[in-house]
Amino acid sequence: MASHSARHWIFGCILTLGLAVAGPAAATLRVVASTPDVADITAQIGGDRVSVTTIAEGTQDPHKVPVKPSFVTKLNRADALVVQGLGLEHAFVPALSEAARNANILPGAPGYIDASLYVKPLEVPSSQNRTQGELHPLGNPHFNLDPEQGRLMARAIAEGLERVDPPGAESYRAGLAKFNQKLDQRIPELARIAAPLRGVKAVSYHQDLIYLANRYGIDLVGTIEDKPGIPPTPGHLEDLLATMQREKVQLVIHEISYDPSVGDNLAERTGAHVATISSMAGGLGKPGYLDSIQANLEALVAAVRAASPS
Amino acid sequence: MRPSFGRERSAVAVAFLIGSTAFLSMPADALTEVEKLRAELAAAKDQLSQTQDELGATRAALDSLTKRVDAMEAAPPPPQAPPAPPPAPVAVAPAPMAETTARILPVNADNPAISFVVDTELSSDTQDSWESIGYANGVNFSLQNAELFISAPIDPFLRGYASINGSSDHGFDVEEAALVTTSLPWNLTVKGGRFFADFGRLPHWHDEALPFVNRPPSIDRIIGGESQAEGAEISWLAPIEHFVQFTYGVYNTVGADNTDDVNSNGFFGRRDWSDLNMLGRVQTYFDLTDTWNLEVGGSWLGVPHSSDRNLWGTDVTFRHQPGTQGFYQGLVWGTEWLWNREKFTERDDTGAVIGETRDHRNGGYTYAEAFFGRRFSAGVRFDYSQSPDDGKDTANTISPFITWQPSEFQRLRFQFDDTWGDEQTNQRFTLQWTAFIGSHSHGFAQR
Repeated sequence: MASHSARHWIFGCILTLGLAVAGPAAATLRVVASTPDVADITAQIGGDRVSVTTIAEGTQDPHKVPVKPSFVTKLNRADALVVQGLGLEHAFVPALSEAARNANILPGAPGYIDASLYVKPLEVPSSQNRTQGELHPLGNPHFNLDPEQGRLMARAIAEGLERVDPPGAESYRAGLAKFNQKLDQRIPELARIAAPLRGVKAVSYHQDLIYLANRYGIDLVGTIEDKPGIPPTPGHLEDLLATMQREKVQLVIHEISYDPSVGDNLAERTGAHVATISSMAGGLGKPGYLDSIQANLEALVAAVRAASPS
Repeated sequence: MRPSFGRERSAVAVAFLIGSTAFLSMPADALTEVEKLRAELAAAKDQLSQTQDELGATRAALDSLTKRVDAMEAAPPPPQAPPAPPPAPVAVAPAPMAETTARILPVNADNPAISFVVDTELSSDTQDSWESIGYANGVNFSLQNAELFISAPIDPFLRGYASINGSSDHGFDVEEAALVTTSLPWNLTVKGGRFFADFGRLPHWHDEALPFVNRPPSIDRIIGGESQAEGAEISWLAPIEHFVQFTYGVYNTVGADNTDDVNSNGFFGRRDWSDLNMLGRVQTYFDLTDTWNLEVGGSWLGVPHSSDRNLWGTDVTFRHQPGTQGFYQGLVWGTEWLWNREKFTERDDTGAVIGETRDHRNGGYTYAEAFFGRRFSAGVRFDYSQSPDDGKDTANTISPFITWQPSEFQRLRFQFDDTWGDEQTNQRFTLQWTAFIGSHSHGFAQR
């Protein structure tokens, strides 16, 4: 019996040691951001008052980000969690949050900052029926590809930071104003870059481009996936091939987190050109939110120009 | 086109000439009549003058408009403005700050989340009999597992979940029904009820979450299936940057199929506090590079009195997670090894102890699984185990397997198990078909 008492003491000592090594809270607000896009916006608004850690990487599929224990400890110590929202992070944020033991960053808590709060979702499914694929019940969550949505994301993030850190309200409002000013400057420039995309017919791998397409007038005629999250079947690809030939599709848009081979094959068979873009910031090597959008647009325009040289 | 006024002017002139001619041709006795006509003529003149004024004003207005049209036609086209973006597909919310911090699913997704798993299989054995690690059935369709899983927050301090299972072999059973605290201080979490004790890695995974069609035989033999237990656990996440988690648990017994260690006075006797099973576990994690990581755990399960059993386990998991682009999408290499030290008592027909042995039995598995093209994975597992109560009863199993997921919610898996050992020999082919209804996730612990 003495040996078991000793084991209990060992456990007690380990617990005490762990508590002792827990350092004092840092002066800056510890923010964990689910995606590089919301991380960049948060950093721009928060400035020196926040330190931002990002979970997903730009090259990853946001629906399949690995659940790593190293993120659990970051969430455990976080003052706020910023998510893009609309269920984009369903594959990793709920599991990480459950393990993080930090009630302040759970949905509904003050530290849970949902960047989609002011976005009007598109492609909201009329029914939650999985025969239509892996649908997002709240609507298409890839609104970050449209810079105008950045304005709404920034507003929700700034308000969230203010909620978590009221003394920094003035700073966050100034950061928001500065970010909006940057948007005012860059959005017309992005529109000029994207001008050749207007009316261009395109297909993408995943159903994630509706916001981008609406903004710049791209005519999306189909997706390589049979339905969202469902890999293409031979029958679907035959139908898509016929559609592309009939509609004279110029552009196959390959999101960097998906296998490019099917898109390459379709492009080769139809004469379309492939443009590789990233659905999250950093995928094309440009970590900033707006820089990433510009990189996407430049890639698309380059492919369109290659498809129809003047 | 510019309008013409010549017709109106001609009409007025003709009228004037006719009137003048008529006046000059009158006789003198008609002066009264002349004066009358003269008055009429004056009125006509006034009317003509007024009409001319009105025509002049109209002409001036028309001339002005004509000049503007000509100027617009002659001017060069204005510079082409960049195409205006279409109306934004967004609606800016009103100015006040949001009253909520997050969008909430319109369906009742969180209270409670309900899912159902159908896990069915077809298997074929080459042997008619198979010793202690299973029973050969020949060709057999079976419901491996039908699991109803329910979970929900209960209040701000607690969540609960339950897993109710049915299968061809075990009938219906409440596999888990547990309460978990969510807001204890100091990173502590307490769990109570019936649940899978936090021993090792795969022992506390649900069947449908395993990377194989079956639980590794070494776990089945040494732990007694999954680590199901009734009791309580407290776990602590160290509040540091590095992931370190400790668990301490107390249970009646551990192992869904384990009938040992019930108490110190025989199977039907009374359980004392000292008969309870105790568990300790520590696990940690290292990001070796951006894409390689390592997870290591150590577990201990002790049964103080009945058999003075000590079961030690270690688990090591390497993962390569390069992202999701391209055909090759990652690798997992998992290994778990168990050491069992246990006292066995021999009794005669009257129940009197006639001898005791203290046996050391070991077992474990190692497997590697690679992931391809988002929907495929393939791997191989090797398992070695000794029966806890018979050191000569060893079994080796090598099991290649391949998995295809048509979607996130459906999976087909084929596995071949070749088993050999001192008292074991069998070859089994298994085709497993698993589907998930609803939002199914056992969370972080079974990632």
